[in-house]
Amino acid sequence: MNIRFSPLLGTGTRTMVPTLVLFSVFLLVVGHDVPGGGFAGGLIAALALLLVFFSFGARGVRRAVPIDPDVAMGAGLSMAVLAGIIGAFFGGTFLTYTYASLTAPLVGEVKVSTLLLFDLGVYVLVVGLVATAILRLGSEDA
Amino acid sequence: MPLTISIAAYFVAAGAILLLRDRAPRSVAIIAALPFLGQLVLVASNWGASSIDEEVIEWIPALGVVIGLRIDPLSLILTAVVAGIGLLIVIYSHGYFSSPSTRARFLALMAVFTGGMAGIVASNELLGLFIFWEITTIASYLLIGFDDEKAIARSAALQAILVTTAGGLAMLAGFILLAMESGTTTISEIVAAPPTGTMVTVALLLVFLGAFTKSAQFPFQFWLPGAMAAPTPASAFLHSATMVKAGIVLLLLLAPGFAEETVWQTTVTAVGLTTMAVGALAALRQRDLKLLLAHGTVSQLGFMVALVGLGHTGAALGVLVAHALFKATLFLVTGIVDKATGTRDIGELRGVGRALPVQAGVGAVAALSMAGVPPMLGFVTKETAFDTLIEGGEWVALAVIAIASALTAAYSAQWWFGAFGNEGSESRARVRPIPRSMEFGPGVLSALTVVLGLAPAGFAIAVGDAVGESVKFVLWPGVKPALVLSGIVLAAGGILFSVIRGDRAADRLPSRSTLRLPASDAWYVASLRGLNTTADRVTGIVQNGSLPIYLAVILTSVLSIPLVVWVVTWDAAPTAAWWHRPAEIALAGVAIVGAVAATRVQRRMAAALMLGVVGYAVAGIFVIYSAPDLALTQLLIETLTVALFALVLAKLPRRFGAGPSSLSRAARIAVATFVGVFVTLAALITTTVTPGDTLTDEYVANAPDAGGTNVVNVILTNFRALDTLGEITVLAAAGIGISALVLTGRERRRERSS
Repeated sequence: MNIRFSPLLGTGTRTMVPTLVLFSVFLLVVGHDVPGGGFAGGLIAALALLLVFFSFGARGVRRAVPIDPDVAMGAGLSMAVLAGIIGAFFGGTFLTYTYASLTAPLVGEVKVSTLLLFDLGVYVLVVGLVATAILRLGSEDA
Repeated sequence: MPLTISIAAYFVAAGAILLLRDRAPRSVAIIAALPFLGQLVLVASNWGASSIDEEVIEWIPALGVVIGLRIDPLSLILTAVVAGIGLLIVIYSHGYFSSPSTRARFLALMAVFTGGMAGIVASNELLGLFIFWEITTIASYLLIGFDDEKAIARSAALQAILVTTAGGLAMLAGFILLAMESGTTTISEIVAAPPTGTMVTVALLLVFLGAFTKSAQFPFQFWLPGAMAAPTPASAFLHSATMVKAGIVLLLLLAPGFAEETVWQTTVTAVGLTTMAVGALAALRQRDLKLLLAHGTVSQLGFMVALVGLGHTGAALGVLVAHALFKATLFLVTGIVDKATGTRDIGELRGVGRALPVQAGVGAVAALSMAGVPPMLGFVTKETAFDTLIEGGEWVALAVIAIASALTAAYSAQWWFGAFGNEGSESRARVRPIPRSMEFGPGVLSALTVVLGLAPAGFAIAVGDAVGESVKFVLWPGVKPALVLSGIVLAAGGILFSVIRGDRAADRLPSRSTLRLPASDAWYVASLRGLNTTADRVTGIVQNGSLPIYLAVILTSVLSIPLVVWVVTWDAAPTAAWWHRPAEIALAGVAIVGAVAATRVQRRMAAALMLGVVGYAVAGIFVIYSAPDLALTQLLIETLTVALFALVLAKLPRRFGAGPSSLSRAARIAVATFVGVFVTLAALITTTVTPGDTLTDEYVANAPDAGGTNVVNVILTNFRALDTLGEITVLAAAGIGISALVLTGRERRRERSS
C-alpha cells in the first residue's frame, strides 16, 4: 500500500502540534485548580500524536515520541507509584499527598507536590498507551 | 532490636551481593559471611540467658499483623544451627562454584533462604512466622531450580513450590482459625492458654498440612528427593538446617500447648512413623549417593515428627540437631566426591577411599552418627529416644522406630561403602584435587558430632532449657534395655547391609538411564494433569473465540448481580423529572438519533461516527450541568475513540457482514434490551435516590487542604488516588494486550504464509 500524505494536512499539523502539546502541559499543570489534569492533558497530547500519524505515518510518530511507547507506559505507572511511595515516606500511608515549596528565581514560590508527579504519571501513561495503539494498530502488516 | 537487625541483615546482604555480582568477589565473600557471623555472635552473647527477649514490629496495625521475634533457649539453639551450618556452607560454596557470578547468585539466594529460616525459628507471631515460612518456600524454589537450563531442575523446583505452598496456605487458614479461637496471634500466649474444641482440631489439622508438606512427611515426601536437583551446597543446607526443619520447628513451638490433644498424638505420630519407614526403605534402593541421602532425610524427619507427636520434644530436638550436623556433612562430602570424580553413582565409584582419605574419615564419622554408633551424637540422641519410648511404654512406636533404625544403619553403611569402599583403580574417574575451602565445613561439622557425642552434658542442659523439661543425653547409660536395643538394631542393620552387598545389589538397582525424576509421585502427577485438563476444558467452554458470545456473557453477568440486589431491596419506583433545562431535550434528541443511526447504518466507520455523536451529546449535557472537567474529558475521549476506530476499521471489511453470527438476532436484541433497560434504571436510581450524607460536601470542603480547588481533579489524584492507580494499571494492561494481540496475529500470519 502506497500512502501519499496530504501536504496541506502536514503543514497544518506542523503548526498545530506544538500548540497542542503546550496546551496539554498547561492542562496538566493547572489541573488541581481549574478544569484539566493529567488525564485530559494526556488525551490532548495523544490527539496531537494521532494528527502526526495521519499526516506523516508511523515514522512521524516514532520521531515525535523519542522513547519506546511501552517504556512510556511503564514509566508513567512507575511515576504514579513513586508518588505514592514518596507520600508514604513523608505523609504516613501510601498515596498520601505531600508537597514542598521551592523558591525559584524569577518565578517566585513554586509548590512541588506528589499530586503533580502522580498526574504526570497518568499523562505519560496515556500518551504511551495511545502511541502503542497507533503504532500497533496502524502498522501496515497488522 | 538486635535480633531483628540480625535477621534483616540477611536480606540486606542478599541485595548487596546481587548489586555487586561478579565485580568484587572478595567483597561478596565478606558480605555473604557477615549476617551468619552476626547471628552467631548474637547467639553466643545471649547463650544461657534465662530471660526471654521479645521484639515486636507492628507491620500492618490495622489488621493486627505483627512480626514478633523472641530470644529464648529454643530459638537460640535453632539459630545457632541455622547460622552455623549456613556459614560453613557459604565457605564451602567458594570452592564449589568456580564462576564468580554464579557464586554470587547462589550466595544471595542462600542469604534470603537463611533469613527466612532465621525468622521462622525466632518467630513468636503466627502471621510473621507465615511470612518467613513463605520466604523460605520461594528461596528454596529458586535454589532447587538453580540450574535453570535443566528441565529436571525446573520441574523439581515447581513441584517443591506447589506442594509446600499448598501446605503453607492450609497452614495460614489454620493459623487464622487458631488466632480466632484463642484471641491472640502470639504463639507463646496461645500455648500458655491453649483453646480447645472442634475448631481447634480443624485448625491443628490445617497447620499439620503446612508442617507435613514442608517437612516432607508421607504422603507429601516425594518433593524432597526431587529437590536434590539443587546444587549440592544448597541441598546440604535444605536437608540439614533449613526448610525441612521448619515443619519440625513449628510442631516444637506448638507442642507445649497442644501435644496432649488426641488429634495431635494420633495424626502426628502416625504420619511420622509411616514416613520414617517409607523413607528408610526408599533410601536402601538408591544408587545415587545424593538420592540415598535425600530419602534418608525423609526417614529422619519422620523420626523427629513421631517423637514430637508422642510429646517427646526434648528427644526430637536432640535428633534434629544431631541430624543437622551429620546430614550437612554427608551432603558436603558427597559434593566433594562428585566434584573430584564427576559421578555420584555407587556403581561407578572406585577407589575413592584411597584417593580422598580425609574425606573418607570425615564421611565415616557422619555415617556412623546417622547409623547411631557410639560415640557419635547420633547415637546419644537415638539412645535417649529409645529410652524415653521404653519408659513411656510406647511399644508400637518403639518397634517401628527400631526397625527403621536398622534400615538406617544399613543405608548409612551403603552410603559410605558406596562412596569410599569400592576397591579398584580409578580407571573410570580421575580424582581431581579439592579446593581447601570445601574441606573446612565437613571437618568442623564432624568434629562437632564427635565432641558433642563424647561430652553431651552441656548439650543436654541447653536442650532441656529449650523444651522446658530435663533431658538426659549421656554417652554411657549403663547396660539398660535401650542399650541392648541399640545393639540389636546395629547388628540387624549390619546383617542387612552385608546381605545386600553380598548380593551385589548395586548391579540390580535401577541403572542411570532409567533413573526418572524420583519426584514423579503418581498422585502428584495425576492431580497436576487433571488440573490442566480441567483448565483446558473450562477455557474451551468459556472462551470459545466468538466475540458476540464474550460480549453477551460479560454484559449479562456484570449486570445480573446488581439487578438481583436491586430487586431484592426494592422499595419504590424511582421518580425523576423529565428535564431540568430545555437544552437537554435537544441534546437528548441528538443522542437518540445517533444511537438509532448506529444500529441502522451498514458501514462500520459510519457506525463508529454515530457512536461519537452520542458521546458528544452526552458531553453537551455535562456542559449544561457545569461539569467542565467531565465535558472536556468526554469530548477528548470520543474524538480519540473514533480516530482509533478508524485505524482498526481500515483493516476490516467496510460493511457489516451479512454472514452468520454465533448469536442469533433475537438473542442479540434480548441482550441489548436487557442492558439498555438496566442501565437506564440504574441511572434513574443513582440520580434520584440520595442517601442522607453525601461525600460531596466533604470533598468540596477539604479539597483546598488536599492540594487544589478543582474538586474533580483532587478526587482523582488524592481522595481516590488508589482507584486512579488501579485504573491506569488497567490502561497499561490494555496497552500490553494490544501489543500482544497484534504481534500474535502477525506471527500466525507469518507461519501460515511460510
